[in-house]
Amino acid sequence: MVETGHFALVLAFALSLVQTIVPLFGARLNNQRLMAVGGPVAVTGFALTALSFGALASAYASSDFSVASVWENSHSLQPMIYKITGTWGNHEGSMLLWVLILTFFGALVAAFGSNLPATLRANVLAVQGAIGAAFFLFILATSNPFIRLNPAPIEGRDLNPILQDLGLAIHPPFLYLGYVGFSICFSFSVAALMEGRIDASWARWVRPWTLVAWMFLTGGIAMGSYWAYYELGWGGFWFWDPVENASFMPWLAGTALLHSAIVMEKRSALKIWTLLLAILTFSLSLLGTFLVRSGVLTSVHAFATDPTRGVFILCILTLFIGGSLVLFALRASRLTAGGLFHPISREGALVLNNLFLTTATATVLVGTLYPLAVEAFSADKISVGAPFFNLTFGPLMVPLLVLVPFGPLLAWKRGDVFAVAQRLMVAFAAALLATLVTALFIDGASVFAALGVGLAVWLILGALTDLAVKSGFGNVATGIMVRRLLGLPRSVFGTAFAHLGLGLTTLGIVGTLCFGTEKILSMHAGETVELSGHTLRFVGLYPAQGPNYSEDRGRFELIGVSGSAIGEISSAKRFYSVRQMTTTESGIRTMGLSQLYISLGDEGKDGSVVVRLWWKPLVTLIWGGGLVMMAGAAMSLMDRRLRVGAPSRRRKQASAIPSTGLP
Amino acid sequence: MTRKQKRLSVIAGGLAFLGAATGLTFYALGQKASYFYMPADLTTASVQPGQRIRLGGLVEKGTIQRGQGATVAFSVTDTHKSVKVTYTGILPDLFREEQGVITEGSFGPDGTFVADSVLAKHDERYMPKEVADGLKAKGVWQESKSE
Amino acid sequence: MLFWVIAAILTLGASLAVLLPLAAGSKGTSSTGDHDLEVYRDQLSELDRDAARGLIQPAEATEARAEIARRILRLDNAAASGKASTRQASVAARLVATAAVLAVPLVSWGLYSQLGSPDLPSQPLSERLAKNPADSSVDELVARAEAHLAANPSDGRGWDVLAPVYLRMQRFSDAAAAYRNAIRLDGDSAVRRAGLGEAIANAAGGIVSADAQDAFEAALKLDPATAKASFYLAMALAQEGRAKEAVAAWQAMLGRLPPDSPWRGAIEQALAKSGSPEVASGGATNGPDAGDVDAASSMSPADREAMINTMVAGLDDKLRQNPRDPEGWMRLVRSYVVLGKADQARDALGRAIAVFGADSDEAKKFTAFAASLGLTATE
Repeated sequence: MVETGHFALVLAFALSLVQTIVPLFGARLNNQRLMAVGGPVAVTGFALTALSFGALASAYASSDFSVASVWENSHSLQPMIYKITGTWGNHEGSMLLWVLILTFFGALVAAFGSNLPATLRANVLAVQGAIGAAFFLFILATSNPFIRLNPAPIEGRDLNPILQDLGLAIHPPFLYLGYVGFSICFSFSVAALMEGRIDASWARWVRPWTLVAWMFLTGGIAMGSYWAYYELGWGGFWFWDPVENASFMPWLAGTALLHSAIVMEKRSALKIWTLLLAILTFSLSLLGTFLVRSGVLTSVHAFATDPTRGVFILCILTLFIGGSLVLFALRASRLTAGGLFHPISREGALVLNNLFLTTATATVLVGTLYPLAVEAFSADKISVGAPFFNLTFGPLMVPLLVLVPFGPLLAWKRGDVFAVAQRLMVAFAAALLATLVTALFIDGASVFAALGVGLAVWLILGALTDLAVKSGFGNVATGIMVRRLLGLPRSVFGTAFAHLGLGLTTLGIVGTLCFGTEKILSMHAGETVELSGHTLRFVGLYPAQGPNYSEDRGRFELIGVSGSAIGEISSAKRFYSVRQMTTTESGIRTMGLSQLYISLGDEGKDGSVVVRLWWKPLVTLIWGGGLVMMAGAAMSLMDRRLRVGAPSRRRKQASAIPSTGLP
Repeated sequence: MTRKQKRLSVIAGGLAFLGAATGLTFYALGQKASYFYMPADLTTASVQPGQRIRLGGLVEKGTIQRGQGATVAFSVTDTHKSVKVTYTGILPDLFREEQGVITEGSFGPDGTFVADSVLAKHDERYMPKEVADGLKAKGVWQESKSE
Repeated sequence: MLFWVIAAILTLGASLAVLLPLAAGSKGTSSTGDHDLEVYRDQLSELDRDAARGLIQPAEATEARAEIARRILRLDNAAASGKASTRQASVAARLVATAAVLAVPLVSWGLYSQLGSPDLPSQPLSERLAKNPADSSVDELVARAEAHLAANPSDGRGWDVLAPVYLRMQRFSDAAAAYRNAIRLDGDSAVRRAGLGEAIANAAGGIVSADAQDAFEAALKLDPATAKASFYLAMALAQEGRAKEAVAAWQAMLGRLPPDSPWRGAIEQALAKSGSPEVASGGATNGPDAGDVDAASSMSPADREAMINTMVAGLDDKLRQNPRDPEGWMRLVRSYVVLGKADQARDALGRAIAVFGADSDEAKKFTAFAASLGLTATE
């Protein structure tokens, strides 16, 4: 089984070469047969990669220590779920997951791309094949997960304990679905550049892919943030760690792409810019892969540190980013510019959005790469952390967030900013009220905190105003309003939900950062402590045994008003004997939207234990907002506009619609 | 305004915006980036009290003292020099004697380094990169130690 | 063999994926203009829907409709001017097609022959543990015992059997934990206490710590003749710098021990070194097994198994010469069971019963002991 997987991987590499070269020649020679090869090869390549991944997963599940990667990252006593998620909890397996997702998306283009112009489809599949070939080669040459050990060891070296968590089951696959999803946008852009023309269907094809990738990337980042929050025991949700930045940059650029693609689709404007943005977004995804995989960074995600791999990925990076940008420089001038618009219009708002988002991406990029550059060109070592990003990223985000509610309400081509402002009066008044209430009635609220709350309320109500205005709230009878609301295009809901999610996340961040409280103290069993109105009693430390670890579990009782215990929270220090590693399991209790967070420190000589407690108001909104954003993307995906029919079959139907659509 | 003038003013506005962002970025880099030092570097570099830096090295053996509450004092050494550090909070799980550590904070007036964050390596096979490089440069570190 | 069949089938499938589209007749082509037209039509219908919902003003809708119409017109112009290229079954196309079909088997088989290990079967752990114990390595036997104990952690006898094996394998902290479990579950004994002490001392690099001393003292309390405990306690004295007392203790031991005791060699070694400061390190004087165990750590699994077999064989020989040793027989039977050599265990059991007589108390004890290990005298 293992060797079958290995063989399937090699075969998939061979097919990716065919997928790169044959359709490319086909498109050049305008040869239908050669172009037709792309589809079946892409589908077969995906099937083989899936077989290969399945073989590796089954080796992990059955603790086959004759596979070196299993031996290094698994242990027979691990619970089955972590045996399986361990498949991608290491460098080799995660790269295999990466190409699995890449070939999966390629296969989707092949399967559902029958309505694409043949040459565009062939070129897209060829570019997709080229990315696949490069990564297959990378895996086979430097990171082969199927290297065998003979004789096989009898026991593995265990998975890094901080990765033994359900978060790992979700975080990397989502993140990769996001990263790799942008590869489709990239392939479409490069294909358009190769052909020297952008079809009208181009934007309609790219937009759903951007949405899918963006949705998963949002989920992946939110999941990663929550995972770090509860697993690392520091109580933070974002560290501006280079690896986090590596996933955040494609997200920012992808958000910009999402918006510029709307302009391109609706108005045929911003074509060249959108193309460039698609290239840049995937380039940042590749850069993220490089930063994490090459080990050039010092960071918590240090499970790959191997320079030969770094050089290899750097070559891939240079080839694809450099190649596509050169192609862009050569061909961009051939593309025709699109429709015109007034600066104050939906298009103008989206351009402004792009300006802010790409500038923000650039600051994050500078902050992430600057320390590497300084180290490369001088002996100094510096680190760029939260203070830098607060000073640069913050000022860029605030005006953008203030402007967000205006965008969806502005008309295309030429908008009326005063009419929009009038419609937003209610939201503005509510935001102002929230600001004043916060400043006046909440103890210790700073001006920034009050303004932050106001901004969040502004975003949330702004998103709802969009729906209200479009459904005719206040102008028509309730029954008609509901009917109109339900009849709105799904993409309108998508926009509103995504912006609503943004507001919720903002509220969560402001709540946690500005109103959270924290205490560090050493406690003896039986002592009580009070934090922001919650009383906790430390019951004591209790040893316990897990499947592959032993732990000291510190139990805390939450004391109610009456003095009796109303709940229990426990935090533990776990010791994993195989890796000789200790981890902290934080104790979290969710109360409404807020959380009480306990982290256990070292045991003192007198039997006391260092305890760190946090009260984190509204903290769950940070990730809840992410989920709402994902829901928005999912709704947009369901919009019927994104289902473009093939020319011949649907023509009659399509032309029949306008007559029935008019009243 | 003609169409051309409009376009020019839009482009000028965009460029001004980008210029401002660039300026802010480099100002922030100058102000907010923290330099990394090993204890022996501190004799040559002039670090003012209150200036944020990152101090890395090994936790010196026998220097970990738990004070009142959650305050811990220890020394960070590169085997040539050592610096006394105090930290209030929960030490990372892999904080141990003679292991690599990076602390971030600033020097107090009494010459003690007051750290507000302490990073240790994240598993047995991993040493903070700056510390490993620094120790290699000082000839203390052998490659085999890390494995 | 099965693998090669699967590999051949996979290769065939992959090659067909390339070959079939190349062999198939070319379908009718639709020009890119048709696709664009479709999109514009869809945009028009969408515009109408939006207008119907009142999402855009009628004036804006008219304007947008005119814009889309202009795009459609532009499209027709482009289509009229750009329909020149025709399909050409050129030599180049044939060449590319042939190369592609050949590349799949050549690249995959060529690369796999460099990278793969086709002869190595999958080795799921459960399968390895389930196979005949006689073919298993010591590591596998230990793993099997561990799996058994993970499922039945209250099996005191299991821990008792495993503890000395851990000690031999230099897994000292595991050995200490196993001895502790055995003591907790099956009660105290001098052998277990002494083993625990040895495990703790070795885990600390040979330093006889206070914990280890406690264990040795407990062993001596249970059985004052426990040579291992006396030896290590003397070592502790030496390590504390009380060399004279240590020497005296060792010399007293030499007086007490039977002439064939394996500890004599170790004591003489220790005495020889006690003049030099090296005693304090304790590393060189780990007791009779130390040398063997050191050697074992650098051995391959196969060699280590051979070494353990030699030790068991040595015990077997000793019992042939000196058969009236019920403890020894039980140890031998157990060793064979642990090593998975059931036949030899049965043979040893038979010989032990023969020595003491089938009706003797010892024989009954042997049978009961063997039964507790899952072994019957006749089969």
